[in-house]
Amino acid sequence: MTTKPSRPAVALTTLGSGGKGNIAYLQTKNKAQMQKLLSIGAIPGVHITLMQKFPSYVFKIGHSQFAVDKELAQGIFVRVPVPK
Amino acid sequence: MLKDFVKNIGYDDPLEIYLSKLEKLLGSEYGISKRAVSLLLLQEDEEIFELVKKNEGDKIGVISAIIREANSHYSNPLSYIISERRQGEASRITNSVMSVKEKGLFNFKETLSRLMMNPFIGGPILLAVMYYGLYKFVGNFGAGVLVDFIEKRIFDAHINPFMVDLVNRYLPYELLRDLLAGQYGIITLGARYAFAIILPIVATFFFAFAIIEDTGYLPRLAMLIDQLFKKIGLSGRAVIPLVLGLGCSTMATMVTRTLPTKRERIIATLLLSLAIPCSAQMGVILALLQNKPLGLLIWLGVIIGVFLFVGYLASKIMPGELPSFYMEIPPLRLPQLSNILRKTGSRLKWYLFEVLPLFIFASVLIWLGQITGVFGFLVKALEHPVRWIGLPAQSSVAFLFGFFRRDYGAAGLYDLKTAGLLSGNQLVVACVTLTLFLPCVAQLLMNIKERGIGVGIIMSTFILFFSFSVGYFVNLVLILSGINL
Repeated sequence: MTTKPSRPAVALTTLGSGGKGNIAYLQTKNKAQMQKLLSIGAIPGVHITLMQKFPSYVFKIGHSQFAVDKELAQGIFVRVPVPK
Repeated sequence: MLKDFVKNIGYDDPLEIYLSKLEKLLGSEYGISKRAVSLLLLQEDEEIFELVKKNEGDKIGVISAIIREANSHYSNPLSYIISERRQGEASRITNSVMSVKEKGLFNFKETLSRLMMNPFIGGPILLAVMYYGLYKFVGNFGAGVLVDFIEKRIFDAHINPFMVDLVNRYLPYELLRDLLAGQYGIITLGARYAFAIILPIVATFFFAFAIIEDTGYLPRLAMLIDQLFKKIGLSGRAVIPLVLGLGCSTMATMVTRTLPTKRERIIATLLLSLAIPCSAQMGVILALLQNKPLGLLIWLGVIIGVFLFVGYLASKIMPGELPSFYMEIPPLRLPQLSNILRKTGSRLKWYLFEVLPLFIFASVLIWLGQITGVFGFLVKALEHPVRWIGLPAQSSVAFLFGFFRRDYGAAGLYDLKTAGLLSGNQLVVACVTLTLFLPCVAQLLMNIKERGIGVGIIMSTFILFFSFSVGYFVNLVLILSGINL
């Protein structure tokens, strides 16, 4: 597989709404939080689109949309592809 | 056979080695493959671990050691590693067979969904849903038109006179006549309240709730309200039992099981008992304050204030894990009538089986209470706090009824209002106090069943004192500010 040029991974919360990227890794305070993220399919490698940041974070993974609070959203780190 | 097509997902070497070690150790049958059990063990699934512990006896020590060792090879939890691998495989398969068509520029459902989740437009949408769904449909149509029709045209005109006549003719015993068809009789009061007042209100509410539920609006509301709910110790998810509580708080208390932590369940149960009026109660309150828009506004303001204040205090006092919010936002859908009718039907069935016996039971208790004099004693005892909040002594009957069924209480006040015994201020104070006052018998029992007897009693005692204190306070403020409603 060829690796696309990319920037270092950043927290999902730092993207603007409409921002897209691939989840690089998850980093949460505890196991329970990680389990919650895994259960909604926020798994490294998947494509994620941030749709909204306020009052909660709404993002799209595959064909599903999810809403999470800031604490959980901070645990998702994404790699945003460099624009062509 | 399906089995021939099933191919295991391969994991990397260390994981596969530990998996095969675990598989070999497992001796019992689990109904799923040993590989699946081993994978669940490695992902630290508590339920499966307990099951394996029970079935494998001494071997659990070795099994635990293998799980620990496997974990030490990875910096991330194994559940993370396994999910990642599965995700990769799933994408590989879907990418090879699926192609995605780009959506058109304008998509009505998506636009509406975004509007519902917009913090500025979402508020007015919520108000519109409440106004048309609750106030217009449940309040005006259910509690107004339907109740009027069933109560006046069916019960007052036909059933009650017929039963009173029947009982008078064939039952020679005064006591039994009272039990069946007296002022508080099983038929004249119990069945009339159950079928003529409560049933139409609850039915219209469940109907409206099913529509709202099936459109997918509730998760969007949860997402809007999450930050506010965090302040009262809940997450946005709690919006579902709390909105259901506006229909039947007893049923909603059962639904608090869907909340993830004990802390959230207790706070939600308390708020349902104290500050969420059920549809039956709300129907009567709307009728009571019909021509008093300012009174209605004060009632609403006080109830919302108490909801937020008590929730805030509870979240400060209660120990335990802070709530976290995550929820799928399903696509908006046009609800199907058949589904809505089925849902409304099954909820009504639950309500009738759960509640009708309680109505009869309450009628019997009131009858017993009256012939033994206990009822009279309790009414007298309640007259003190009732006078204390500035109400006529007669309204203590409504408060005692309120405990048997919250809506009995509200309906009792309705009788007092019709008799012209309550001023505007008194009406508002009474509505506030009665809304906050002890939940109905059914809800009290549900609180104890779901939260335990200790929490149930502490909550009820708190609510008893708190409701009258707020009533006292509202009365005082109204007097001091010279407001005459």
